[in-house]
Amino acid sequence: MAAPAASLSQRLVNWARQKSPWITIFNSGGCNACDIEIIACLMPRFDVERFGILSKGSPRHADILIVTGPVTLKQAPRLRRVWEQIPEPKYVIAMGACGADGGVFHGLYHVMQRVEDVIPVDVYVAGCPPRPDEIINAVVTCLNLMSEDAAHGGKEWRQKKRSEFPGGMIPSVEAML
Amino acid sequence: MPEVIVPIGPQHPALKEPVNFRVIADGEKIVRLELDISYTHRGIEKAAEQRTFIRALPLLERVCGICSHSHSTAFAKGVEELMQLTIPPRAQYIRTIIGELERMHSHLLWLGVAAHEIGFNTLFMWTWRDREAVQDTLEEMSGNRVHYGMNEVGGVRRDLTPSQVNAALQRLPNLEERITKYVDMVQNQETMLLRFRGIGKLTKEEVLKYGAVGPTARASGVDYDIRMDDPYLVYADVPWNVVTDTSGDVYGRTRVRIGELAESLKIVRSCLEHLPEGPIRVNPPKTAPKGEILSRYEAPRGELVHFIRTNGTDRVERVDIRTPTLANWTSVAACLVNQNLADIPVIVAAIDPCLSCTSRITIVDKGDGNTGIVTWDELRRRSRLRDRRQEGA
Amino acid sequence: MTSPLTLDFVMETMKGSGTAEQVRSNRIRITTTPKRVRDAITTSRELLACERLITISAADNGRTLELIYHLTGPHRTVISIAAELPRDAPEIPTVSDILPPAGIYERQIHDLFGIVFAGHPDLKRIILGEDWPEHEYPLRKDWKPGPDTFYGGIREERI
Repeated sequence: MAAPAASLSQRLVNWARQKSPWITIFNSGGCNACDIEIIACLMPRFDVERFGILSKGSPRHADILIVTGPVTLKQAPRLRRVWEQIPEPKYVIAMGACGADGGVFHGLYHVMQRVEDVIPVDVYVAGCPPRPDEIINAVVTCLNLMSEDAAHGGKEWRQKKRSEFPGGMIPSVEAML
Repeated sequence: MPEVIVPIGPQHPALKEPVNFRVIADGEKIVRLELDISYTHRGIEKAAEQRTFIRALPLLERVCGICSHSHSTAFAKGVEELMQLTIPPRAQYIRTIIGELERMHSHLLWLGVAAHEIGFNTLFMWTWRDREAVQDTLEEMSGNRVHYGMNEVGGVRRDLTPSQVNAALQRLPNLEERITKYVDMVQNQETMLLRFRGIGKLTKEEVLKYGAVGPTARASGVDYDIRMDDPYLVYADVPWNVVTDTSGDVYGRTRVRIGELAESLKIVRSCLEHLPEGPIRVNPPKTAPKGEILSRYEAPRGELVHFIRTNGTDRVERVDIRTPTLANWTSVAACLVNQNLADIPVIVAAIDPCLSCTSRITIVDKGDGNTGIVTWDELRRRSRLRDRRQEGA
Repeated sequence: MTSPLTLDFVMETMKGSGTAEQVRSNRIRITTTPKRVRDAITTSRELLACERLITISAADNGRTLELIYHLTGPHRTVISIAAELPRDAPEIPTVSDILPPAGIYERQIHDLFGIVFAGHPDLKRIILGEDWPEHEYPLRKDWKPGPDTFYGGIREERI
């Protein structure tokens, strides 16, 4: 079902958001390799600032939240709080193997098992750590998602209801022993 | 006493890891520092006990994203010594080459980050661009820019082809030229790096008393360097020097790190040119005999210690990791006392902290009991304002 | 760098503190009791010129908890002073007044193993999260996460 045609001001806002997303990075207890690859994106070799992508400190100014690291028990409530502070529409990119399933830290006693257990995720990036090229690709994928969501009038069109999953839960990957 | 939590954003490059330290201040002067490092505790030591050696290596590599080869080499060489295994010379050379390349990329990273702290963003961009040459070399050799996965118990997993060796050798002259330029910059009187002078000073006695390691200690004239004190890999065969300085402040630490960059480049070149032929691994036994070893390694940040205990099975019974940054925190606390709040960014960045940080600084004002939120950017701004005022005065 | 310490010299100097053995070309291990650890460390600082604490390692060998203090000095020999503690009441006097870096290591070992360092000025949480329950020491061999205990993280439903 197509969304009703957006007003001019709404379309302007959508265009500005997609052309120049502001990101905020949250390290939820990882080894930092992902954070350094993100900073390498801002450096002259990869240079994402020419796309208008800026890294902002405060979550209140951000469009995209990038989460690195497996979420340690200490960081989990803080991650939830940071996510709540971001104004809608917000997008979350979970980086690396840690973001998908805890990575090499799956099953350890001081980590939550997945970022998805704490906040909903929109884009996953594979790698340990993902290369800067892959990170830029993820941000561009997120921008495409933003424009699709704007055309559909929100995120509901791609969100599954929890009741649609067998047992009501997203099936988890069994830890390999 | 009312307390203030200062959230210092994780996108801040100097402190990429979450850590919480409370700074108890009297006006602008710091009185005491307290520490909370639970943000990145993941439970790695316990998990390593439950995995075989082959599966424990990727886990230990990811303790830290900048010194990953240090952790995996320290563990592998410790287990090899417990098994009384001698690995072939070619494997030793390859491990050394990767280790020294890692040191170079880490020091270049630090130089950029420290420059960013004082607002010298040009140097930040230059050093990180030069660092890309090192990353390219590492990627060609190992397949990944970070977390190389080169080590296994018994040797290394990948060999270096002649074309990789040549490509690496060809990148070195340009890097050498850039490093010479940084050496000049540090000694040049007009540079902004002079702002590091006099800050975070530690005398030789304090370094020994507080147990500081690495460039933080060597900047105060303490010449402990595990590559010289307890030689491992090929450091006893390759000509190189321990770099020390006598000033003991952040400026001295900058000089030590840049000096180490030049030394590492020499070691890499020497190893690449004299790479011996031969196998790159031996078949290790499945289990390690009962024993205990203290495996020490000079990581880019200082002395890294793995205390490994085995019990005749195919797993370790205990691996106790002491990272260099943990050893340096006490000295940070010591040299922050009686300094200004505005010096926090520079002093903390000077030990090259390798803790994942959403660092929060709690500032407790003894005097008027005021509470306020101060961000890291605010602290950095105060630091630059103070420097500018001093220059103008 | 001065010349390395010999086993005989160390055995002679540390006679009152415990037995010494050479476990590696540059490492000498001294086995002592919890009560004599402080004296052993003071002796090695004063008579063996061990000016630096490398680290304090802790391990659980199934029967007892072990603490090993590693020191070194200009002679570059590592002196490891080892003591065993009973599991049910592991207590040992602190050495953070003699060796300031020990403060952090002792706090960490207390969080993970439950060893109490008597006289430590500030033995509070450093490495486990604030919601981690008391008296659960994850690095002990007999620790398993309880299925119903809350260790931290979020209690609320997933969003």
